[in-house]
Amino acid sequence: MNALDEIVRSIVTYMPIYTLSGLGIVIGGRAGIFNISGEGAMMAAASAGYLSAVFMGNWYVGFLISMVMGALFGLLLEFLHEEMKVNQFIAGIALVIFGTGLSDFIYKLVVGIKFYIPDAPPTPEIRIMPDIPILSAFFNQNIVVYFTYISVIVAYYIMYKTRIGIEHRAVGEDPRAADVVGINVKLVRYLATIIGSAFIGAAGGYLPLVITGTYTPGIASGRGFIAVGIAIFASWRPERTFLGAILFATIEAIALQMQVSEIGVPYQFLLMLPFISLLLVMALFKGKIEHPSSLGKPYSRE
Amino acid sequence: MMFWEKSKPYIWAIGISFLAIGVLVWILGYSPLEAFKTLLFKPFSSKFQLTATTLKFIPLLLSTYAFSIPFILKNFNIGASGQMLVGGTVVAIVGLSFESHPISPWILVPLLLLVAAVSGGLFALIAGYLKVKFGVDVVISTIMLNFVGFYLASFVATTPPWKAPLTGHPMTKELPKWALLPTMGDLHIGIFIVIGIAVLVHYVMTKTVFGYEVEAIGHNPRASEIHGIHIDRIVLMTLFIGGAMAGLAGGIEVMGVHKRLLEGFNITSGADFGTFGSLTALMVEGNTIAIPIVAYLVAALLNGADSMQRTMMLPVELVFLIQAAMVLLIVSFRGKFKE
Amino acid sequence: MKAVELRGISKRFGDVVALDNVDFSVEVGEVHGLLGENGAGKTTLMNILYGLYKPDSGKIFIMGEEVKISSPLDSIKLGIGMIHQISTLVPEFTVIENIVLGDKSLGTFKFDVKLARKKVKELADSIGFELPFDKKVKELPPGVKQKTEIVRALYREAKILILDEPTAYLVGDEFDQLLKAINILKEKGVTIIFITHKIREVFQACDRVTVLKGGRVQGSLDVRKASEDELVSLMFEGQKIEVTDSALPKMVLEDVEKTKSPILKMINVSTNVPNLKNLKNVNLEVYGGEILGIAGISGHGQKLLTEVVVNPNLLHSGDILINGESTKEKSTVDILKSGVFFTPEDRVLEGSLPTASIYKNIFLGHHREERFLKGKSVVVWRKVRSVSRELIKLFKVKTPNEVIEIRKLSGGNMQKVIFARAFLNPIDLLVTHNPTAGLDMASVKFVFEKLLEMRKSRKAVLYINEDLDELMAVSDRIAVIRNGQIVKVFQREEFNKREIGKYMAGVVE
Repeated sequence: MNALDEIVRSIVTYMPIYTLSGLGIVIGGRAGIFNISGEGAMMAAASAGYLSAVFMGNWYVGFLISMVMGALFGLLLEFLHEEMKVNQFIAGIALVIFGTGLSDFIYKLVVGIKFYIPDAPPTPEIRIMPDIPILSAFFNQNIVVYFTYISVIVAYYIMYKTRIGIEHRAVGEDPRAADVVGINVKLVRYLATIIGSAFIGAAGGYLPLVITGTYTPGIASGRGFIAVGIAIFASWRPERTFLGAILFATIEAIALQMQVSEIGVPYQFLLMLPFISLLLVMALFKGKIEHPSSLGKPYSRE
Repeated sequence: MMFWEKSKPYIWAIGISFLAIGVLVWILGYSPLEAFKTLLFKPFSSKFQLTATTLKFIPLLLSTYAFSIPFILKNFNIGASGQMLVGGTVVAIVGLSFESHPISPWILVPLLLLVAAVSGGLFALIAGYLKVKFGVDVVISTIMLNFVGFYLASFVATTPPWKAPLTGHPMTKELPKWALLPTMGDLHIGIFIVIGIAVLVHYVMTKTVFGYEVEAIGHNPRASEIHGIHIDRIVLMTLFIGGAMAGLAGGIEVMGVHKRLLEGFNITSGADFGTFGSLTALMVEGNTIAIPIVAYLVAALLNGADSMQRTMMLPVELVFLIQAAMVLLIVSFRGKFKE
Repeated sequence: MKAVELRGISKRFGDVVALDNVDFSVEVGEVHGLLGENGAGKTTLMNILYGLYKPDSGKIFIMGEEVKISSPLDSIKLGIGMIHQISTLVPEFTVIENIVLGDKSLGTFKFDVKLARKKVKELADSIGFELPFDKKVKELPPGVKQKTEIVRALYREAKILILDEPTAYLVGDEFDQLLKAINILKEKGVTIIFITHKIREVFQACDRVTVLKGGRVQGSLDVRKASEDELVSLMFEGQKIEVTDSALPKMVLEDVEKTKSPILKMINVSTNVPNLKNLKNVNLEVYGGEILGIAGISGHGQKLLTEVVVNPNLLHSGDILINGESTKEKSTVDILKSGVFFTPEDRVLEGSLPTASIYKNIFLGHHREERFLKGKSVVVWRKVRSVSRELIKLFKVKTPNEVIEIRKLSGGNMQKVIFARAFLNPIDLLVTHNPTAGLDMASVKFVFEKLLEMRKSRKAVLYINEDLDELMAVSDRIAVIRNGQIVKVFQREEFNKREIGKYMAGVVE
């Protein structure tokens, strides 16, 4: 009972990493922007979020700054694509490299001299219900978990039940059709990418602020890319992204548990699990995956 | 006239990048002049420096090909890292198996190089197969496989019978003498291998039907397919070749530079060869004559960055950042100037 | 009162002048035709009015007042609506979603469609259109899509409606339904601009007409007082070609003795390709000395019909014989070496390598021919280039050399190269799909002449064209394809647009 409770707890704690980043990619993708800069954005957001939390002594400031950093990466991505006509993949990869380098560079400059690396301020928690097994694991959590639940619901509602949602999706399906009926395609793409990237930044900030308590180089460890995979096989839908996130949080939680309990498998193979799983899942789901038709393609009138 | 027009985007991009370096360096309290001297001139200043640059150039050029060849078909092989690690790992395993069995290096060395290339190629082929059979984008699969490759190498470097006894850093035992690349002074024969490959790549891409088919698919896959070109087959072949290049680089590094599999052997100047290779490839846009030249210049820059960190205490990530920014500038200006 | 007035509109795309100081005006409540051959600048002019393009110079007046139109939102607010040649609906959304898309009055954080549905139903009924509101647009035939776009414009309260080549995809009764709707709208005071290149449509639908040629206005006439000859001479000033009422060159089909056995024989051909309309038991014969036309609504199997001849991998069952030999075990490259070639539906998107040189484009499809290779894999580029130069001369392609990128050529010349590629080697069979789409009249004549040349030399042409006028101009027989099956074959004496249209639309079984 206790071990199971522990695992469910881990899963729910890891879930926001994948949900928030996946959701961010979905929001951008539904406007046609294929954002693969997540890994870099997350690291830059992690670094910035951690440092600002430590120096201001305030967890909220740190989390907010990580979202702002993420948003900046989104702005940069869309600017490069829309105004400088750079291919979305190329811009994304370059931003991954840039973000990774930037986060390490800033970290080295600011902290490098000291040998002692301070811990981030503790994360606020909310306890909603008494200690019922399993269920309480979902509802006695840090506040980012609640933020995540709300984000998924709001994203779903806006995307499928509101006018701005249908315009957002129209831009992703057929920007020309959207343009012809008077929708401001550029504005939608900018907003979607920036807001989406802010969520990716939140996922990045979550890592040092909540999970580890401190920043280490390479903290994202490939999760920014797994998030892209999740968005793809969720067919770019918020509710399915949530399910995919739970799947990968589960894999990560199990791998961790196995490492700790020293089952005979060498730890490297456990760490490989999320990456191999993603490939297997994508191969299995091949026929049933859909995507917005203009994903990755630039749009211009003339 | 046309050459001048074509070089405008590069001149602008490089100019702005260097300006940015200068400003950044100055803000951080260092002398921009000294930084530029170290970055640009030091790498060419002595035989020792030139050797160091060449040693970086060899795996860098191969990593550049690893990205640029699949890239003609718009497939982003970001997996050179993993392919290089797999190549190096397999070479270490096979090489160490000859530990107690001396055999002529004339046989073993080419065999090991072949093994490195083939294992890198097969590793990349996984991504190719996933793309052709299941439509999984090469970007995602090669990135995932990078991590798989990393952990595989890590496993071999920390597990007996390969693990070197009594060391803290993950590495295997040293390879037997007959499994190492012959050297001339400080340089190993890898340079000849790589020159040969450069010539071969240029020839195949520009003068054969295969090269034409690859180019055609890159321009318009649909038109190519309905005129009789087998896209799937060629996608797989380009990924295999790309992976083989990176795998070969891994083998060369293990057999020629470190003489063993060493965790982090694929990393240089703040990032791994795969990353620098893809950035270099993006700078050059597929011109098979320009690739080796630009790769050498980038290798020199990386060497300069190492010197800069040593003598001026500037973090080596700076060059890494600048190259990323440079690539973005080049690609955007190329696009803008074309309009 | 002038509903629309354009003064001094000019527009260039790079080096090409699309519009040169155009003055164009339309009275309130009239149906005004904008007539010109392909490439004359009609769509460009209207795209400027609709806000998709910005003019380099000139002024726009709506209802007498000068306006600045910088995006479709501006033109929609001014009461302008445009129905483009190629559908601008979102395929994944339903009819009703497409019609109300962009209407900000439906709320921000909600989506009040119920009231809108009523309004849309009333609008559709008022012009006699019946629409399947909850069907996804991607499942609809072109005629229904067009009706959806018209209702969409009316829903946004368009008082000025631009129709760009509206009859391109219409079949049978659909044209009459469109004319009826236009008349109803006219009575309601809606002003209509009707873009077309077919002269007879001007007489059928318009009150006045303005003729455009090479980006310049040639003249404006009252349709009731104009004659066909006047319009022809305005459209084609200086060109001495005899033209039909659909602005096509008048071609004469001489008597040619057909070959005894067919060059192409398709026996019970069926395909099974996902996401495309598949062929079902198609039986066809094309003899040497004839042009067999294939008529049909877009998307009824034409694409596969073209491709299966040169790509036997697509054959699910049945057989295809070329000159008596089965193609079943052959590869595309083999077939292209054996006296067959083809031109794809979209010559640019499916037939060209846009950023490659002209000679590399010509090489495509011929890239494994022994005469260009040393051994099996090495290309002798010198040979490829000299052959390309010859082809360019023969087909009179306007280009400084064979080395420049093909996309630097004008649209017409680019298409000429792709068309010419089919004739690099002598061929017995040409399979061609919409070879004249978007071409100006002189180029159309050139293509027709090449097809008739093949016919005269007792070679075979399988000629697929969704434009019935273009099809009837040079075909000996016409087979109608519907839902992947051949439903009727017409002999040349029997050619009748209405009849053929009925089979295309499935009105007759």
